Amino acid sequence: MNSKINFIQPEYLHSGHYACPGCGAALAVRYLARALGPDLVVVITASCWSIIAGMPPLSALKCPILHCPFPSAGAVGSGLRRGLDLRGKHSTTVLVLAGDGGTFDIGLQALSGAAQRNENFIFVCYDNEAYMNTGIQTSSATPFGAHTTTAPYPLFKKGAKKDIMHIMAAHGIPYAATATVAFPGDLEQKFRRARQIEGFRFIHILSPCPPGWGADSADTVELSRLAVETGFFPLMEIFEGGAPVLTYRPEKRVPLEQYLKLQRRFRPLELQQIETLQQGVDEEWERLLKAAGPV
Amino acid sequence: MNGEQILEMEKIYLNVVPSTANKTGEWRLLTPTRKEKISPCRQGCPLGGEIPAWLNAIKRNNWAEAWEIMQRKNPFPAITGQVCFHPCTAECNRRNLDEAINIPAMERALGLWRLQNCRPAAPPRRVEGKIAVVGSGPAGLSCAYYLNRAGYRVTVIERAPVAGGLLALGIPSYRLPREILQQELQLLQEEGVQFVLNCSVGRDMEISRLYDDYDQVFLATGAALSRMPSLPGVKLNGVWSALDFLQQVNLGRTLEIQNPVAVVGGGNAAIDAARSAMRIKGIDRVTVLYRRTKEEMPADPEEVAAAAAEGVQFVFNVTPRELKGEQGRLVEAILNRSHTSGEKLIIDRDTELRIYCKTLIFAVGQERDWSVFGTLHREIRLCAGGDLISGPAAVPQAIQAGRIAAEALAAQLEGKPGPDPSPPESGAVTFEELHLAAWPGLAARGRQEDPSAEAERCLGCGTCNSCGICYLFCPDVAVTPDQGRYLFDLNFCKGCGICARECPARALMMEGGW
Repeated sequence: MNSKINFIQPEYLHSGHYACPGCGAALAVRYLARALGPDLVVVITASCWSIIAGMPPLSALKCPILHCPFPSAGAVGSGLRRGLDLRGKHSTTVLVLAGDGGTFDIGLQALSGAAQRNENFIFVCYDNEAYMNTGIQTSSATPFGAHTTTAPYPLFKKGAKKDIMHIMAAHGIPYAATATVAFPGDLEQKFRRARQIEGFRFIHILSPCPPGWGADSADTVELSRLAVETGFFPLMEIFEGGAPVLTYRPEKRVPLEQYLKLQRRFRPLELQQIETLQQGVDEEWERLLKAAGPV
Repeated sequence: MNGEQILEMEKIYLNVVPSTANKTGEWRLLTPTRKEKISPCRQGCPLGGEIPAWLNAIKRNNWAEAWEIMQRKNPFPAITGQVCFHPCTAECNRRNLDEAINIPAMERALGLWRLQNCRPAAPPRRVEGKIAVVGSGPAGLSCAYYLNRAGYRVTVIERAPVAGGLLALGIPSYRLPREILQQELQLLQEEGVQFVLNCSVGRDMEISRLYDDYDQVFLATGAALSRMPSLPGVKLNGVWSALDFLQQVNLGRTLEIQNPVAVVGGGNAAIDAARSAMRIKGIDRVTVLYRRTKEEMPADPEEVAAAAAEGVQFVFNVTPRELKGEQGRLVEAILNRSHTSGEKLIIDRDTELRIYCKTLIFAVGQERDWSVFGTLHREIRLCAGGDLISGPAAVPQAIQAGRIAAEALAAQLEGKPGPDPSPPESGAVTFEELHLAAWPGLAARGRQEDPSAEAERCLGCGTCNSCGICYLFCPDVAVTPDQGRYLFDLNFCKGCGICARECPARALMMEGGW
């Protein structure tokens, strides 16, 4: 079920970083750095990773890091790319690392601009589905039904999660993909593929957040796996804004409840709301299968 | 931004300090710990061998380590790899994925590696204490191996002209090539074990003398007496007991046996006798007569199938009643129909079948030989094991008995309490308990020729099999690969528990505290 992966590769993430125990975002960056290799510069916008990367002179990554203001990730990435090109460093990969806040909400205009200009860098959204770093405030990536500190019990997030893949695909960018940490082979393959492609590349990584989701830190990978197995977070690639290509099709989708019950943020959900969520996932899955066409 | 400013940025980068200066292990509340659980193969193994552990060492191509693990429970894998019926493979969890691990072949490979690569090494130190082992069968040899390694002076006393007991005289050479036995015996000798052959304790030598000359004595004379039924005609020429027959064959004597041959019995000795007879020049008609059905045969099914493939015929549900001869020589056996009813065997005296045979071999059981005690008339502290105690059993059971005896004797000599016979562990890890979803690239793949590739198929089942999942899924890069193994770096482990949750073999647990 999981594509073959070469376990032992050079690691570009140092131990001793400031991520919480069981952090999905740390794991995601560990894998993508393994796939992209040493010739890499990382732009980090305000997000958990601003902290995880460490305060200078400490650094958790074996590559240059450029921290930037919240809404500017797309713009800073564009500028850095052009600067490196001016110096003839065409082979260096520019990677912009943003959380869901820096992608779905605050960073959306710069992201959209860079995508529309087809700037030559990789934009990664590690999505933990709320503003985790500042204290679990709702973002437009928070799924329906989840509790956050801005939607405390008995309130919950009312709207559905923003469909960022649709938005990015509509820009007609050369490459857009989803990935998650339970499938490191798939994730690394997508980054290696992205590196080969010229132009704007967008990769959306679902990274479970134990404190923000109210989950056991040991369940990070299990949650990530269940998100895929339930169809809640399909693994796909979209080339040139075309039809989605599913990189993994679960043989039989697991009921969404199994995914929800491991997270306290969904705990007080009533049966009816769970059904609503399941229905939404089912519809989205059908729509996706239709769009993707037969294997 | 001009070029100089970018250069400035590079300088800043060059001055950074890795975050490893930050010892995040201090955050940890729970610590990942290896907690072995028993695997189905270990549970099935009569020797309690740590099969996943030595397979893991072979997978890492560390044969010396594999041997070190192997010999803790089984000093003769080259032998058991040939003769054991391998209950370990029967329950292998890998069966649910593709095919059981080929443990016998791996055991043989490790045994041969040992014979080829382990130079005889004298025990690290010699200690006071002379020990006599009576009987050089698997129990005696195993006891001698462990006591010699512990530093005692061991003498093995064997009544036959060759050492090995059942291994040399009972098991046919097609099941155990004699070079392997010879090499094992030679290694034992070179490592310091003394062998005295042609000396029958109880007949040539009083057992009480052993207790005068040695500090401890281990009796392992086995169950080498053939049971013969009391039928009319068993004294006829051409009637054999399986053990006598096999012993003659194994000593390389030319036997005057004639076609056709009948073997009575359904155990492994019967099959050994039948297949050995088939190999004698001029013999091509061999029939096994068994009193119950094929399904009830105690012999190993693979051996039965091999015998059938070699042309051995089987007749089931028959019991011999009488043997008839001419001029003192067997010509036919008269049989009754028989079948099992509940526990009992019902013999139908009214039916009568005749089978023409010039040779008939009885393999209907063995008995313990008490002659070793001779005319003993003094109180001794007896230590005995193997078939002499358990009654007829198999080679691994005898090896196990020898090891336990060695531990007990050594403990007595050192004045320590003996080994605690702990009951076999139960509750082997089932296939459903394994967490194979976590294993990227795990796919159905049949048996492999290359030992390392075959060992790689082992799922571990409660024992770390160095799959590397803990390394792959560690968000803190706090698992360090080290020559194919994986070590936890507790300076950085934050104790999230992903490794334990994802461990496919279920060999990890999170424990409280540092």
